[in-house]
Amino acid sequence: MCDLKHPVILILVLLLLFSSGLAYGKVYIDIDSPSFQKFPIAITDFKPLRPVADKGDLPAWFSDTLSRDLTITGYFNVLDRKAFLEDPKQAGITAEGIRFEDWTVIGAEYLVKGGFQTDERELVTEFRLFDVVRGELVVGKRYTGKPEDRNRMVMQFVNEILLALTGEAGLFETRIAFVKKGDASADIYTINFDGSDLRRITNYNVLTLSPRWSPDGRFLAFTSYRDGNADIYLRDLGNGSTRKIVFYPGLNLPGSWSRDSARLLVTLSRDGNQEIYDMNVGNSLLQRLTRDFAIDVSPVRSPDERRIAFVSNRSGSPQIYIMDADGGNVRRLTYEGNYNTSPAWSPKGKRIAYEGSVHGRFQIFTIDAEGGSPQQLTFEGGDHESPSWSPDGRYLACSVRGYGRSRIEIMNEGGQNARVLHEGNDGCQSPFWSPRLR
Amino acid sequence: MRRNWVWVGLIALVLCLSVTFLTGCAKKATLKEEAVVTQEQKAVSQAPAVADDAAAREKALQEQALTDQAAREAAERAAREEADRVARETADKAKKEAGAMAAAILKELQIADINFDFDKYNLKPEAQEILKKGAPAYLKYRDYKLVVEGHCDEQGTSEYNLALGEKRATEAAKYLADLGIEKARIKTISYGKEMPLDKGHDEAAWAKNRRAHFVIFPPVQ
Repeated sequence: MCDLKHPVILILVLLLLFSSGLAYGKVYIDIDSPSFQKFPIAITDFKPLRPVADKGDLPAWFSDTLSRDLTITGYFNVLDRKAFLEDPKQAGITAEGIRFEDWTVIGAEYLVKGGFQTDERELVTEFRLFDVVRGELVVGKRYTGKPEDRNRMVMQFVNEILLALTGEAGLFETRIAFVKKGDASADIYTINFDGSDLRRITNYNVLTLSPRWSPDGRFLAFTSYRDGNADIYLRDLGNGSTRKIVFYPGLNLPGSWSRDSARLLVTLSRDGNQEIYDMNVGNSLLQRLTRDFAIDVSPVRSPDERRIAFVSNRSGSPQIYIMDADGGNVRRLTYEGNYNTSPAWSPKGKRIAYEGSVHGRFQIFTIDAEGGSPQQLTFEGGDHESPSWSPDGRYLACSVRGYGRSRIEIMNEGGQNARVLHEGNDGCQSPFWSPRLR
Repeated sequence: MRRNWVWVGLIALVLCLSVTFLTGCAKKATLKEEAVVTQEQKAVSQAPAVADDAAAREKALQEQALTDQAAREAAERAAREEADRVARETADKAKKEAGAMAAAILKELQIADINFDFDKYNLKPEAQEILKKGAPAYLKYRDYKLVVEGHCDEQGTSEYNLALGEKRATEAAKYLADLGIEKARIKTISYGKEMPLDKGHDEAAWAKNRRAHFVIFPPVQ
């Protein structure tokens, strides 16, 4: 979506020579298994495809950027270049020019090589991923674009590597929306999965909160006090227009969308108390789902849309509850601790992430959607809040607050490999992961 | 020879006649001219005298009128200024009195913040006391309205705290309504944990931030 604003045509040429890439990768390594070991991968500096007098910074730029992006995924152990045995001057970038034993002996299982050719207007790059144990090419791509597209070329090839080795594309075409607070205001920003390209989405000089991306990637629903009351607005990210869609007296908060982006769960207090409703976005018709004098808030749909998880304090403290999509069959999910909020249902369907209070600090947990076996994912470094799953269910974003700083972090679904996406003095909160945007 | 004389005589006659005719014509033209000249002279000599007279009279009238008006205006201005001064003084005095009165009313109407326990919205006894003390002023000044703001500390989720803040505001509003203030005069709004009074990150700051705050809305003039 955001990339549509740079309508640079990236011509993708699958190098037919290496069609073996399709045959490869049918047997994926289960990266979700607890015994999963990171892929040991070597990345050499890129070579000019034609002899040039001055190579510039590009050879190292490509290998450094690939290393960084592969490391970000949490699935790769990028080998130190100092350990490489290969003579870069002698070696080529195709299978014929590689002595695979030079790589297996230093512990590599995979190798990325590439080349580039550039003038001021055009950049042509070639990327190749080799399985050095088998001694064959896994996937190769050539990209043609403008010199400023080089970052996207790297991201796209990292997606190819992930697709080939794990069976699922990476997340480099996703963004994370979050709230950044000012003095007496708060606004919504979005940022790339790799922490690049921070963009301000709202600038209303009032409180603007709770971003909720539609599954088609087109809309961002949020709550703003633009007209004094907490009303729900819809930003069309295609044309930048914004319209107020829910504005009953009292609170109007967006919850999760339906998969077809046609319905939005909302929390409204128009009937005197916070209740959850399912709203048809097209005609604004509401179906009331909860009836309780306590707080009912933060509804999220299960991936199959048959159930809804939400927060209620009907038992006296905020806990996660589950009900059927029509509001029936309500049952309590969390029992440990006296403060469990912010449910986020994994796209894989089995687990629900949430934040819970442990010894006065807030940490991220997951729990089986059928009930039981809560697992704590974060332990230190401040209060961890508002978990949001990546579209593939392999990562969680959350906000971290402590020691006068606040940040948005990303970690693997098991809680490992946390990295900072954005940090600031101002409050960074309520991250929400976009769907894949292309 | 005789014929010659005849010719001379004829010529003489003709000459004579023509002279007579010509002079007669000339005389007539001269008279006419004179008459015209006389009339013109008359017009020239009489007209200025008449115009001067009229202009002088007019001027005098105008001057008179102007003088009268200036005098009248000066008098009026003085009267008006005096009236204005008196009005201004009266207004200033009234304004000062009204301002002092409005300030006094606002002071009377101002209800102190009430505080809550963590994750709670029940009104503690001290909060109830504050509301009981605050409500009577609203029964006295019935054109004043109020907004009850609900706030939370920074602990926990933004969304849950928006709901919690609304519960706090609603509880306070209900209590005030029970004390006799018409429901239509009380509005509630929640700012959750987003507008802390104290930006600290300890229990002392949090205790202050868990509050309902009361904003007075004077009648629109």
